[in-house]
Amino acid sequence: MTSANDLCLPLIKPFLSFSVLSKTYSMNWRRIYKRLIAGVCLTLVFAFSEKGAENYRSVKIPYKKYGYTDRQAAARLLDRFSFGARPGEVDAVVNMGINKWFEQQLEGTDADTAVATRLANFKTLGLDNETIVNTYLDGGQILRFAVKNGLVNKDSVQGDKKAYQEQLKNLMQQMGLRPLQELQNELINQKIIRAAYSNNQLHEVLTDFWFNHFNVSLTKPQCQQFILTYERDAIRPYVTGNFSDMLLATAKHPAMLEFLDNASSVSDKNKLVNKKVEAVVQQQLQKKADDMQSAGSAIAPFVQQAVQARKVQGLNENYAREIMELHTLGVDGGYTQADVTSVARALTGWSLRPLAKDVPARNVFEKGLQNNFGNRGFVVEKDFFFRADKHDDDPKTILGKNFPANGGYKEGEEVINMLAKHPSTAQFIAKKLATRFVSDTPSVSLVNKMAETFRKTDGNIKAVLITMVNDREFWNQKSVREKVKSPFELAISAIRATNADVQQPAQVFNWVNKMGQKIYYYQAPTGFPDRASYWINTGALLNRMNFGLAFATQKIPGIKVDLASLNNNHEPESAEDALKVYSNIFLPERDNTENIKRITAIVTDRSVLQKISDAAEKNKEAVTPVAINNHSMISQVAGIIIGSPEFQRK
Amino acid sequence: MTNRRAFMKQGAMALFASGIVGGIPSFIARAADANKLFMPYKKKKVLVCIFQRGAMDGLMAVTPYTDANLKQMRPTLFMSPAATEGKQFDLDGRFGLHPAFDALYPFFKEGRLAIVHGVGSPNNTRSHFDAQDYMESGTPFNKGTASGWLNRAVGLLGHDATPFRAVSITSALPRSLYGDNEAVAINNLQDFAIQMKGNPIAANMVAGSFEELYDQTTNKLLNRAGKESFDAMKMLNVNNIKNYQPTAGVVYPNSPLGNSLKQIAVLIKMDVGLEVAFAESGGWDTHFNQGAANGTFSRNAKDFSDSIAAFWKDMNAYQDDVTLMTMTEFGRTAAQNGTGGTDHGRASCAFIIGNDVAGGKVYNNIKSLAKEDLEDGRDLPVSIDFRASFSSVANNHLKINNNRVLFPDWDGYTLNLMKG
Repeated sequence: MTSANDLCLPLIKPFLSFSVLSKTYSMNWRRIYKRLIAGVCLTLVFAFSEKGAENYRSVKIPYKKYGYTDRQAAARLLDRFSFGARPGEVDAVVNMGINKWFEQQLEGTDADTAVATRLANFKTLGLDNETIVNTYLDGGQILRFAVKNGLVNKDSVQGDKKAYQEQLKNLMQQMGLRPLQELQNELINQKIIRAAYSNNQLHEVLTDFWFNHFNVSLTKPQCQQFILTYERDAIRPYVTGNFSDMLLATAKHPAMLEFLDNASSVSDKNKLVNKKVEAVVQQQLQKKADDMQSAGSAIAPFVQQAVQARKVQGLNENYAREIMELHTLGVDGGYTQADVTSVARALTGWSLRPLAKDVPARNVFEKGLQNNFGNRGFVVEKDFFFRADKHDDDPKTILGKNFPANGGYKEGEEVINMLAKHPSTAQFIAKKLATRFVSDTPSVSLVNKMAETFRKTDGNIKAVLITMVNDREFWNQKSVREKVKSPFELAISAIRATNADVQQPAQVFNWVNKMGQKIYYYQAPTGFPDRASYWINTGALLNRMNFGLAFATQKIPGIKVDLASLNNNHEPESAEDALKVYSNIFLPERDNTENIKRITAIVTDRSVLQKISDAAEKNKEAVTPVAINNHSMISQVAGIIIGSPEFQRK
Repeated sequence: MTNRRAFMKQGAMALFASGIVGGIPSFIARAADANKLFMPYKKKKVLVCIFQRGAMDGLMAVTPYTDANLKQMRPTLFMSPAATEGKQFDLDGRFGLHPAFDALYPFFKEGRLAIVHGVGSPNNTRSHFDAQDYMESGTPFNKGTASGWLNRAVGLLGHDATPFRAVSITSALPRSLYGDNEAVAINNLQDFAIQMKGNPIAANMVAGSFEELYDQTTNKLLNRAGKESFDAMKMLNVNNIKNYQPTAGVVYPNSPLGNSLKQIAVLIKMDVGLEVAFAESGGWDTHFNQGAANGTFSRNAKDFSDSIAAFWKDMNAYQDDVTLMTMTEFGRTAAQNGTGGTDHGRASCAFIIGNDVAGGKVYNNIKSLAKEDLEDGRDLPVSIDFRASFSSVANNHLKINNNRVLFPDWDGYTLNLMKG
């Protein structure tokens, strides 16, 4: 592995995707040439730069220098770079070699057969947006479909609900249509399964981190069909790559285009639009849409939506503001309201192609595609569609830089690259990563060092992570166990710590939601806050304890925990023994003596046990008598450990 | 804190504090006894706050319909009492109330609803996150303020309290309630127990173990949250919550806000010592196809006002003790945007309801909506600081008279929205 190879890959990537695009629509060899030249230059810079090159040699984590044993270091890395250690995993990492393990995690190329097996029956994970839009219908679309097919009378309440559901199900099946909920379920379930069982743990942790950074939400109807492909195509491939690539991928993905409204942000400051012709076209489209609607066409709503989208004209600043405030510069990153408006103008026309079949807009689009839209600067790349006729052609000034008139698609890409490479972005992203991986309040010196690497490597995330893990602050004893697990991290770490078999991931989702983290549903573009005080409060804390109990005592349907096998089917001799055994399995390399002492006092208190059995005796009619056998005691002990303060920390 | 802990030990809580398990048949039965024991604590004034997340379009909620500029800027979104479709309620010959707030109109007529218009933050950020953060911390130019204004209000109440003094019906604590004074966040009151299906005895034992562990942990946050959780758990009667029947004839909308207000009603009627309650209402970020008489805004407004009206009717004999106030992070652009909606703006409006509210009036300093009178030529300017409105309610209803602590860095005047 040489530094040149590593550096070239991310540089070639955009070239590859761009070549596909340019082949069909706009031959821009000068641009590609420039990129290649830039790549060569950059490689040379780093070949001569000690610091830059160092990041790409094999990793040498200085944990010994900071007083960590191999096992302690492995436990700490597993705490922060995985969703929790599995039984025996600390030893496995030590045996493999800590540096090698970290390198492998950065690569994230394990074949992951366990995950593949668990995901084998999933139907949606490989689908493209077009298939999804035309197959997975939401409640309203299903109702309209039912109306159209005479299954339900528009004006009356359905009499026989069961029969109706059955008919509807059959007909949808015949037509190859599915309810949207199935897509959402698979999206949620795949995240849970990958987090719990993937060997590429760091990539899963980073996918979670970056999705949250570029948050989109299932709560918004316009983007809910695209979230699965968003995570898969715009986040996952870039989690250790170059930040600017991920920023651009998110900017161009239908989910983000819809979530922050950029798809409908348009300008009429444009030489391509003949307003009279447009008015006639719109009239015709509206008539066609209305006809389809009165004919009860199942896709009429899509058509109406498309027609509306074409009709509405105007600037929407939502995405422009959030790309600066939340995705790149940070709120104090040095931009003004005027910058927000200018960025919004630069991104007018950034939209998605019509994905629903048989809608007028689709036909217009296909026709346009046949002649490359008359070579007028339109760009189509997968589902991204730059509508040159909706772009603001006037000159703009953004963050002090002038953008001349008629910049077209390229202008927006330049703006996005400029934001990705802005010094404020380096600082903002460095701090956010340090907050996730080191401490809720990372030191300024650590953030500065990570930001420096970010700037020097053109935003290479892998390099920034290596800088972080090499820094003394990462190994500072103060930050050990300082982070509190998010509800998702808590649930997944419990699954991993017990080698639990999750057959119904939806149950995990429900519990995580109950503990305060409804994954994929966070409504604000900010994503979930990453700090302990956000997660820990009175109601949520009780639910964490209840989760631990329900989980370990096998009260969560579809999740199997075999506690005995974790101890080689050797039954602990006493409650105290059970505490010792399971504390050390669930919380490796932590000092569990105090905890064990305290819980032991409770679970072995004869008078307490007597009270329980007395109470059970007295209240036979009110409560189910419980046999206080060893088995239930062990699972309760395990539940207490998982619900304990120590297990909430990482 | 010391006081409250002392109270817990000496008072009704001694019953539970005496033993980890206690040997008492079931947790539910104990909680029922406890509830009676709390009764002697006299009823307190309750402030209910609703945060309308996403920034409500104040100009659509309460429209200065006589201003011709607005009609021009909102070709499809303008509404007025003169309209044939979507006829607004005429409040005072100048302002019209959106018809979807019909459930709140009687409050205005009876003088129990005051509307504050042109209200907002002096910080002109148009970011949801920042504006909410500033409004909830109560310090619009200082991000570093550790506490929320409602938490400081709780601290200024100056008397002993139960764990349910400040409750947010949310799964996580809102910024408004961050701080040193104890506050509870809970989505569903029924979850307030250590649960082991069909095994309440073991649940008691386990609860004891957890309590001990959280009491001993070195992590301050977990330690404190643990204490609060167990104190709170012991006070709540899960059975009463499950079987709660609102006042006859009251139907809460089956919506997040409806359910939140219903749970607040339960807490108030259980006399568990609630003084500050917090709930959220979402969906106000109407960038796209906002609708006028019908549509997104109207649906939200309907749920919002029906939920509040149901809550108020349910309060019944408690109405004199309760004041409800709403807030939203900013308003929206005076002009509609190109996508049938409105973008982030500046001032919005707020509703304050209660028997001691000097209502039936739209409090405002709004001039014209001519371009030159708008902030940045586009937004309704903030002419009333949100703290002028918040402090009025806190001063009069909660009898807190320390604006310096409630809103540090602010020496503005307090509006007089309340009777007496």
